[in-house]
Amino acid sequence: MDLLLQTLANGILIGGVVATFAIGFQLTFGVLHVIDFAVGAWVILGGYLAYFMSSLLGVDGFLALPVAFVLFGTLGYLIGPIIYRVRNSRTARPELMALALTFGLFTLLRGGMLTFWGFNTRSVDTALSGGSLMIGPVAVPMLRVVAFAFAMAAAAALFFMLYRTRYGLAIRATAENRETAGLMGVDVHRLSATVYGIYAGLTAMAGVLMGAIYSVNPEIGLRYTLFAFFIAVLAGLGSVGGAILAALFLGIIEAVVATYWGSAYSHLAIFATLYLVLLVAPKGILGRGL
Amino acid sequence: MSRLEAKDVITGYGKHEVVHGVSLEAAAGAITCIFGPNGCGKSTFLKAVAGALPAWEGSVRLGDREISNRPVHEVVREGLVMMPQGGGAFPRLTVMENLRMGGHAIADARLVESRIEALLAEYPSLARRTGVAAGSLSGGEQMMLALARALVSEPRFILLDEPSAGLSPALVGETLERVRELTRRGIGILMVEQNIREALPIADKIYILTAGEKRFEGTPADVRDDAQLMSIYMGG
Repeated sequence: MDLLLQTLANGILIGGVVATFAIGFQLTFGVLHVIDFAVGAWVILGGYLAYFMSSLLGVDGFLALPVAFVLFGTLGYLIGPIIYRVRNSRTARPELMALALTFGLFTLLRGGMLTFWGFNTRSVDTALSGGSLMIGPVAVPMLRVVAFAFAMAAAAALFFMLYRTRYGLAIRATAENRETAGLMGVDVHRLSATVYGIYAGLTAMAGVLMGAIYSVNPEIGLRYTLFAFFIAVLAGLGSVGGAILAALFLGIIEAVVATYWGSAYSHLAIFATLYLVLLVAPKGILGRGL
Repeated sequence: MSRLEAKDVITGYGKHEVVHGVSLEAAAGAITCIFGPNGCGKSTFLKAVAGALPAWEGSVRLGDREISNRPVHEVVREGLVMMPQGGGAFPRLTVMENLRMGGHAIADARLVESRIEALLAEYPSLARRTGVAAGSLSGGEQMMLALARALVSEPRFILLDEPSAGLSPALVGETLERVRELTRRGIGILMVEQNIREALPIADKIYILTAGEKRFEGTPADVRDDAQLMSIYMGG
């Protein structure tokens, strides 16, 4: 019983961190109509930033969080317009061109990381590494608790922005109908770049947390891209609210499978669930839209 | 009095030219109607005036300001709002949020709120349902919402793309009556319509486009006097 509780706790905590980049991924789809294959690469880059800050500068890995947001947020803001232009180009299938572009971006970033930093797995040191917290009979790593809390706070901040500010309203309106939002005076081009920036920054922050919890190497980026795809299918593409539930569910599946069957089966379990969902409810099972 | 003036506007989609040099003038406080068969380029022309489509050639002036080829989101700030077909309410946003989007171009949020409050007094059916998702309103209510939303920015001109499309006959009359009311505040209306029978009585000036070119320009009385036009567009 304790093992099950332990497993569920671990799964939910990881799911919370996954949720941060999953909602950004969904928001990006909603506004830019692009499925961003590069999502996993942004996660890993955040992890590397934390690794280099802690190993080269000797600072706590968590200090990389604000740096990751600003650095990758800016980078995303600069890359966003390129993706927007390709997605809205006059080619026959702009949505496929945009997918190819983000796949290319993913490959480029992954290849670059492999070339510069090699296959070695790096871990991020933080003051919290190693400590654990007792919740009743269940011991959970302190690191995961703090990472979860931070991720949920970031998600809450994003939701506050989306649902309580004028800019957030403009983002939601643009996600519903870009042309009409433009007619209302929204600079859709600039807003799309900003959304991509927010998403890239959030995703890199999640990467810092993931790097501290697990470790980083360039090859595991694909795993996070798979996570984002899984959540998008489960929640319905573009659904931000559903993404959080789907991310928690993903964390639980992963943890349960890893504990009782071994982590080698976790991808199998994820793909099997994905297959079932697509078979039964191809539009997602947790509602759609912002 | 400001007026909206398009001169020799050429535009289209991709490489395909749809509008071949159309000129038009719309006065403030009046309803200017563009009629024409399906595919004559009237909606395309309207989009070019609003900046939603770039004008390839020609000019669009609002008052003494050139607005052609300004990005669409800046045209709103010049005092021109376009309502897409069906009104273009954001279905998943609430009525209130839709109205707030109408004031997106206005920096002062409190000004937006006070204008919305004043508008809700005029549109009681909306006032009762401010928290409801716009998509759950009827077609006629969504049209009212779109009109109210367009008014939040206090535009000088409103462009309407087929306001009667998809509405029941009773609602068409009510919607057009609302549109007529707007002109009494000095707002100029430029609208594209299929439903000539309903729109002709409220129009002040008529343009007819065929195949992307201006075919006729005149008053409703001129149209009624023209037996040939009447037979083509009114079925005799």
